[in-house]
Amino acid sequence: MPDTLLTLRNVSLGYDGQVVLERLSFVVEGGECLALVGPNGAGKTTLLRGILGLIPVLAGQIEYGFDRSTSPPGYVPQRDTLDPIFPLTVFEVVLMGTYGRLALLRPVGRRQRQLAADCLERVGLADLAHRPFWALSGGQKQRVLIARALAVEPHILLLDEPTAGVDPGATTIIMDLIAQLNRDQSITVVLVSHHLRLVRSLVHSVVWVEDGCASKGATEVMLAPERIMELFGPLRGTE
Amino acid sequence: MNTFVEMLSPGFLLREALIGSVLVGCLCPLMGVYFVLRRMIFLGVALPQVSAAGIALAFLVYRMLIGQHQHFVPSERWLAMLGSLSCTFVGLLVLAALARHRETVEARIGITYAIAAAATLLFLALDPAAEAHMVNLLKGDILATTGPSLTLMAGVFGAVALLLVVCRKEFLLVSFDRDLAVVFGKHAGLWDSLLYLMIGVTISLGVMTAGPMVTFGFLVIPPLTARIITRRMLTFSLTAAGLGAITAFAGFYCAYRFDLPLGPAEVALASLVLAIVAVTRGLLRVLGRWQAA
Repeated sequence: MPDTLLTLRNVSLGYDGQVVLERLSFVVEGGECLALVGPNGAGKTTLLRGILGLIPVLAGQIEYGFDRSTSPPGYVPQRDTLDPIFPLTVFEVVLMGTYGRLALLRPVGRRQRQLAADCLERVGLADLAHRPFWALSGGQKQRVLIARALAVEPHILLLDEPTAGVDPGATTIIMDLIAQLNRDQSITVVLVSHHLRLVRSLVHSVVWVEDGCASKGATEVMLAPERIMELFGPLRGTE
Repeated sequence: MNTFVEMLSPGFLLREALIGSVLVGCLCPLMGVYFVLRRMIFLGVALPQVSAAGIALAFLVYRMLIGQHQHFVPSERWLAMLGSLSCTFVGLLVLAALARHRETVEARIGITYAIAAAATLLFLALDPAAEAHMVNLLKGDILATTGPSLTLMAGVFGAVALLLVVCRKEFLLVSFDRDLAVVFGKHAGLWDSLLYLMIGVTISLGVMTAGPMVTFGFLVIPPLTARIITRRMLTFSLTAAGLGAITAFAGFYCAYRFDLPLGPAEVALASLVLAIVAVTRGLLRVLGRWQAA
């Protein structure tokens, strides 16, 4: 695995030419587990979308420590962005992850099917492979989307609010799964979250996004109780 | 039974019309699967009308620039195809480009339909050479299907169906999760354009062959029926195409046997199948809940 997977140099991001985040600079090392945190509307998802190449970089540059064309990143979107009108089984959704490395017009083969089955196994949902995707609970859907991202065989996994709208039990399962993927399989993780308490026990480092800027630091510094108290007041529940 | 056997015999007088009808019934739902999944159903109302306006415009422009065209010659069909395809494709691109402003989407499609319908009649009125034959071309007259037009239709429909099969991975990814497609480095805009072109070709040929009503009906009704009873993409597409072909054949049978207008008979039958499937599914759900309670 490359030492540095992502380097942002004076990056500005935004929509329709309007800058939301300005002059961001930080690196993501291989094997790191990093959270993008900050208040609602601060631009956490904008930053993630910029890293993924879903919105244009207005200034500066993002360098990838791997070849994106042959080895795309694993991406886990918020499940609400997917339309339930599509008749898809769990297996079909996971299989989509293998398209990332398949050449144009090349059909899915035995290797891709095996890979999809293995990824479902890794997230503990192999027995649901032939169930309709939309019949699953929110937490199960999120794990299926993680399996889909793993089917890309990525160097880096980028997750947008992986526990949004998920019950506490499922939240713990998802966070444990992410920790396990990072710890046991050395997959670099970048996730957007507003669950500060959960994030604090999971990630090595934090990028704090606020007022159009972002600063990176160790979790124990960035999410120190006194700093959070200063920003938000005392933490309640999962916040 | 005699009518059924007669329809299947090689010497059946309306054989070309029957085959054309089944081809439209099969391909329109295959394409319509993406209409339903991409929530473009309303576009299906407006686009066949835009296609008809394109045919009328092509004849008007031809007469103004070159002169009177001849009826019942192959070039007339090509001219109609050119006008229909260009207007449908441009209309589709414009409507799709504006689709992100979701709050006014129905209004835009409604306006497009109204403008296209009015333009069709105006173009016909402006062309003194417009005759009943041309009106038939606009409305689509499946009974007038000839051997050469059937060959053209089979060739074009075959190419569209082949592309749908070969590119299904790309079309599914771009339609279901566009962001992931972009992350994978796919040119989502190009795939969208190819899909729109195929939709344009299907609608154009469908309108010229069977008319706007049948084209819209088969674009939407069999896929909606199939969506109720299928759980996978492949079975969804195959069921939609199969249902379309069967209802087109059965509609033709009813029209021939009971002397009914063909297009309305086919659409009514497809709708009846949808109603039966939807009601049955609803009853089964109620029964399931009742048994579980």
